Amino acid sequence: MDMGTATIEEVRVALSGQRYIASSDICTAVFLAGRLGKPLLIEGPAGVGKTELAKVWAGATGNELIRLQCYEGLDEAKALYEWEYSKQLLYTQLLRDKLAEVLSSAASLREAADRLAGEEDIFFSERFLLPRPLLRAITSDAPVVLLIDEIDRADAEFEAFLLEVLSDFQVSVPELGTLTARHLPTVILTSNNTREISEALKRRCLYLFIDYPDLEAELRMVQLKVPSLAPQLARQAVEFVQRLRTLDLKKHPSVSETLDWARALVELNARSLDHKTLEDTLSVLLKYESDLQRAQRAMQGPPPSRNRYGEE
Amino acid sequence: MDQRIVEFIAGLRVAGVRVSVAESIDALRAVEQVGMVERDLFRAGLQAALIKESHDQPVFQELFPRYFGFEELPPMQQPGGGSMNEQEQQMFQQMLQHLLEHLSPEQLARLFEAMMSGQRLSREQMNQMLSQAMSFLYQLLPMPHPSPQAQAWMVQYALQTVPFDRLVQALDQMLAQLRAAGLSETALRDIEQTAHENMAALAEQLGQEIERMMREQMRQQTGTPRPSLRDLMDRPFENLSRREMEELRQVVTRLAARLRSRAALRQRRSKAGPFDARRTIRSNLRFGGIPLILRHRRRYLKPKITILCDLSYSMRPVASFTLLLIYALQDQVSRTRSFAFIDDLTDISTDFAEMRPEQALEAIQQRVRPPGSYSTDLGHSLRTFVRDYFSCVDSRTTVIFLGDGRNNYHDPNLQAFDQVCRRARRVIWFNPEAPHMWGVEYPDTLNSDMLEYAHRCDAVHQVSNLRQLITAIDTLFVRG
Repeated sequence: MDMGTATIEEVRVALSGQRYIASSDICTAVFLAGRLGKPLLIEGPAGVGKTELAKVWAGATGNELIRLQCYEGLDEAKALYEWEYSKQLLYTQLLRDKLAEVLSSAASLREAADRLAGEEDIFFSERFLLPRPLLRAITSDAPVVLLIDEIDRADAEFEAFLLEVLSDFQVSVPELGTLTARHLPTVILTSNNTREISEALKRRCLYLFIDYPDLEAELRMVQLKVPSLAPQLARQAVEFVQRLRTLDLKKHPSVSETLDWARALVELNARSLDHKTLEDTLSVLLKYESDLQRAQRAMQGPPPSRNRYGEE
Repeated sequence: MDQRIVEFIAGLRVAGVRVSVAESIDALRAVEQVGMVERDLFRAGLQAALIKESHDQPVFQELFPRYFGFEELPPMQQPGGGSMNEQEQQMFQQMLQHLLEHLSPEQLARLFEAMMSGQRLSREQMNQMLSQAMSFLYQLLPMPHPSPQAQAWMVQYALQTVPFDRLVQALDQMLAQLRAAGLSETALRDIEQTAHENMAALAEQLGQEIERMMREQMRQQTGTPRPSLRDLMDRPFENLSRREMEELRQVVTRLAARLRSRAALRQRRSKAGPFDARRTIRSNLRFGGIPLILRHRRRYLKPKITILCDLSYSMRPVASFTLLLIYALQDQVSRTRSFAFIDDLTDISTDFAEMRPEQALEAIQQRVRPPGSYSTDLGHSLRTFVRDYFSCVDSRTTVIFLGDGRNNYHDPNLQAFDQVCRRARRVIWFNPEAPHMWGVEYPDTLNSDMLEYAHRCDAVHQVSNLRQLITAIDTLFVRG
């Protein structure tokens, strides 16, 4: 499917065809990013499906997904391109005889140098260029989806560099000249908001905030991804997770953790959410000891506290 | 419709959302694509193009319905339309005309006519009716962002100048005349009820018009958004109002981001450390061992910061901004310990460890209350610091003192101060007072030991406004 011409309804159908439940906000943002040819910046709490959206988008359009995972210390060489020195070196070693042959007939040093200079294009050609994700996205023959994941982890300087690339989708390699994108890649940036993204970058992008889904939406996701979980239990489980999110925890359970938990419940053949099951499986949802304790205290409201001491 | 969207963007700016020109164009292009028929999509499209911060979303949600007039006016009807025959209707119209001629002032008559005929007021009519009240309200409006309560009050005020009570009188009068003329009770009741509904609808219409006029006025007044930030940064902390402090607090995170990238750049560009043989050999393996690239060890020592803040009343604004900035820059600092003192020292690091900086500040200000004026005692606090917390100072630590150095004739405890200076990498003092005030005694109240402390410090910065504070904090990250 071509996102440049699809209608919103087609976007919705395509996304749900990839088993992704998208709200109308998400559909509209994806649709606009396709139509306006602008990068889409997605923010939201961890595990609500930001990265997933990019994968699904690539799946729906049938384009290749190129992923650039950001981390502290990521620089141009790792994001854009590098010269393959060792390959160049290997080639010069192997071609030594041929070089000698070419240069031997030269009368003077100047002539030999000129001849060598005539050949240097060979060594600084795309043959020896090691493309990294950004360059691959730009030089790709087919349209691609470029996912720049967790941009907030990269340094501010890298962000500034990215800004240039994203604004005109061209890169200049000093030895080769300027490489311009053959197809404008669809760009998705995700951020967990661990630091403020610069305003200049935000201005260039469309913005989508994905929050935790509400009860019904999350229930639909669970039913879609873990169909073997009994409907009654699925509802109970999702209600429980939604309740956990209202507590004051260090880290709230994400959607992906809800799905993991649902799978765990299926594996354990759980019939209902009794105390035992909860205590056994709560660690799938909550990853901090203090959160676990707090949740257990909050959940142990009215029901009998006999189980706490292991007396059945 | 484009005009309406542009007005909406201006409204967002007034409410404090930053929208660039490029983004406005994006919004218009987005609307072109999604159309306006489906309201939900229209909203989502505008939101994706205009709102780039999650904390701006509530503003958008609040303003959107006000601008895209889907807030509907209640319908108005012709009173007694169904329950009167033709003859009665004629009588009704005659009476209405008669009454209108005798009603004064003019605006009351127009209002009554609108109520009894079920027609909406035109914008000119409304402007006429409201002109006096509005010109009074405009005088109040120089406050930049009136609270929702204040706005509601303004609408109420303007509505009260509209003579609704006399409208009721006129209605009663007309009903009495109609009754005397022999109109049936059902028809009368019908007329009365519809007239009251119409009156409510008129009030609603007027209320919306008032809100619109006020928004328009606010937009004109604050034509360029946030013109004052520059001034605010240069304004001394003690002259800032509560609201301005709040405004500045919001920009602090942005300024911190700028400081951070500056520090990061400086680190990258600064001279590298000593030659690193191991990494040089490894990275030159690909050239067959010929050392083409030299590697140097990166001296990547992030500073450790220990900060002692005077939290007496006069120092609170400076202290809160300093702490906010320091804690916004945590990723540039390897370890921060913070203490607050007035007469004695308390460790406040734990508050910052557990809460967001803004909340922590609140909690600390609640907990550490000045016992009375003239109680600041740095000497005693230094004694406690050296006794209990000296372990948090080592040769990599930068110690920051934040205070005015006015000790109220207590012992300045220079001995303990020297001890700190000897152990710490650097000792820096942030003082909100100008240098010419240091050491000057205020008449029979406060003495200043600042001169004694100053020459023992590695640097003393005057931090009376935000700009100075930022420059001062920036120097912390310059490798000395």
